[in-house]
Amino acid sequence: MAGIALPRLSAPSLPGSVVLSFLVLAVVLAWSLFPGLFTQFDPYVGDTSQKLLPPSLRYWFGTDHLGRDLLARVVHGTWASVTSAALAVAVGLLAGGLIGLLAGFLGGWVDTVMARLVDVLLAIPNFLLAVLIVSAFGFETTNIAIATGVSSVAVFARVMRSEVLKTGSAVFVEASGLLGGSRWHVLLRHVLPNSSRSVLALAVLHFGTSILTIAGLAFLGYGDPPPAADWGLLVASGKDYPSSPWLVFLPAGVIVVTVLAVNRISRWIRHDD
Amino acid sequence: MKARSYLGFLLRRLVQALVVVVLSYTATFLIINVLPGDPITNMLLDPDNGFSQAEIAPIIAYYGLDRPVPEQLWNSFSRFVTGDLGISLRSNLPVAGLVLEALPSTLVLASSALTVALLVAFALAYGSQNLPPRWGQGILRSIPAVSLAVPTFIIGIFLIQLFAFQLGLFRITSPDSAAATFFAALALGLPVSAQIAEVLITNLDHEARQDYFAVARSRGLSRGALFRRHQLKSSSLPVVTMIALAVGELLGGSLITEAIFGRKGIGSLVQSAAAAQDFPVLLAVVALAAVVFVAVNLLADLVYPLLDPRLRRRRGTAGDAA
Repeated sequence: MAGIALPRLSAPSLPGSVVLSFLVLAVVLAWSLFPGLFTQFDPYVGDTSQKLLPPSLRYWFGTDHLGRDLLARVVHGTWASVTSAALAVAVGLLAGGLIGLLAGFLGGWVDTVMARLVDVLLAIPNFLLAVLIVSAFGFETTNIAIATGVSSVAVFARVMRSEVLKTGSAVFVEASGLLGGSRWHVLLRHVLPNSSRSVLALAVLHFGTSILTIAGLAFLGYGDPPPAADWGLLVASGKDYPSSPWLVFLPAGVIVVTVLAVNRISRWIRHDD
Repeated sequence: MKARSYLGFLLRRLVQALVVVVLSYTATFLIINVLPGDPITNMLLDPDNGFSQAEIAPIIAYYGLDRPVPEQLWNSFSRFVTGDLGISLRSNLPVAGLVLEALPSTLVLASSALTVALLVAFALAYGSQNLPPRWGQGILRSIPAVSLAVPTFIIGIFLIQLFAFQLGLFRITSPDSAAATFFAALALGLPVSAQIAEVLITNLDHEARQDYFAVARSRGLSRGALFRRHQLKSSSLPVVTMIALAVGELLGGSLITEAIFGRKGIGSLVQSAAAAQDFPVLLAVVALAAVVFVAVNLLADLVYPLLDPRLRRRRGTAGDAA
């Protein structure tokens, strides 16, 4: 009885760190969707007699200079931080993916024009490009997200193009063309699905980097003004109270853990290990 | 024959670089001037900013804001080429002067940060090959991945908390002192070092799996000699690419680092220009950053065939065929 090994039901086994990463993301997702379930404190109105308290059983993350519970602020700020990173990825993925797809599939002068466009996007340092766009369109978290997305277009375009070139020359794709599949049929049914794995891994990775970039821009004050509770903004306002280091390092810890989890999942999608 | 094909390559790359610079300038100009309905005029006409009619007229005439956009772009670009970067709307001073004033501080910061980044990256890479596998290598190899998940501003704040407030090694009231510059460079350089280290370690691992490496080891070379003479040399080419790419990272990162450490440089110039909607300053800095980035990457591309004999040969045969 003991000698018989049961066959595994789940065919691809998940490494422990990947499971842990998915758990972290599940918590982050729950925070952003149902913040009220995780804290009974108000994120915007505090009790000034309880200001700048270190972490305790009552206030897990301590309180800020207005006596607001920091955990409540972090939990309620999750929605803005997560959705803006998702928006940034969507912009980069759609625009960059389209550019890369067209460049790789059509080739010729389209490829040359797209290549120069990508060169331009690479030539302007990402962070400067984002600051430029936000200054022109207004200091808002949505604009930060779009700007972050625009500055990642080049990377998406490059990966998409190389994937399309790689799959485009595969034998089964050639066969599909010889069997009379139209160019667009070949593109949509064969090339696109087979290119999607690396692009998906890149998108997940960029979700993490976008959280970091957006936090950096919010830190510099380009996002929604206080009392918004974006994670980067929480760190920015916390740094004015050096004797209360938890105001900086606990929100920062949440950012780091989230991004680590996202990066781990991205690596898992790319390599399956 | 060989020299001539390299010359052809050089000319082609040069033209390509110029095209990218012109297009980058155009893109930046269009973002500022066209998309949201000419923010310079909007900003001038905003009564909160207190420009009088008499002040507005010469500014509009200088930038040709009443002219068609292509003409404005041409004017602006031909001034840029001759070194006239426009006039700051906020301070009424020439932008070129403001940039020159801010440049030394950022150059010192960025070059120290690059030095830090390279030292840390090579130290991590050396350790990743030569430390005891489980504890030493495992930990060292996870450092780049972990530090890439840490926001840049946290590293800066942490260094200030620990070394300025707790240990008193430097004072943030004198941001240009050597000690303060060192820690600022550390904050700016560490994220860059993680990227360089990741690429370097991947390449070192690749070289360590090659046959020639096993032969060299069986000849009884020490670990240090193996690393120096064999692994490192062939792994350092991608590092040239990484350094060229890091230039953009360092320029962008200087915004955050200068803000945290209270330094006055290009980053803080951009920061105050963005806050005051001082678009001529933003245009100039972004365009100059693009020029620097393109120039450094051009240089890296030109050096590549000189460093790597394989690239030289391939290009030579291609040239012969043509």
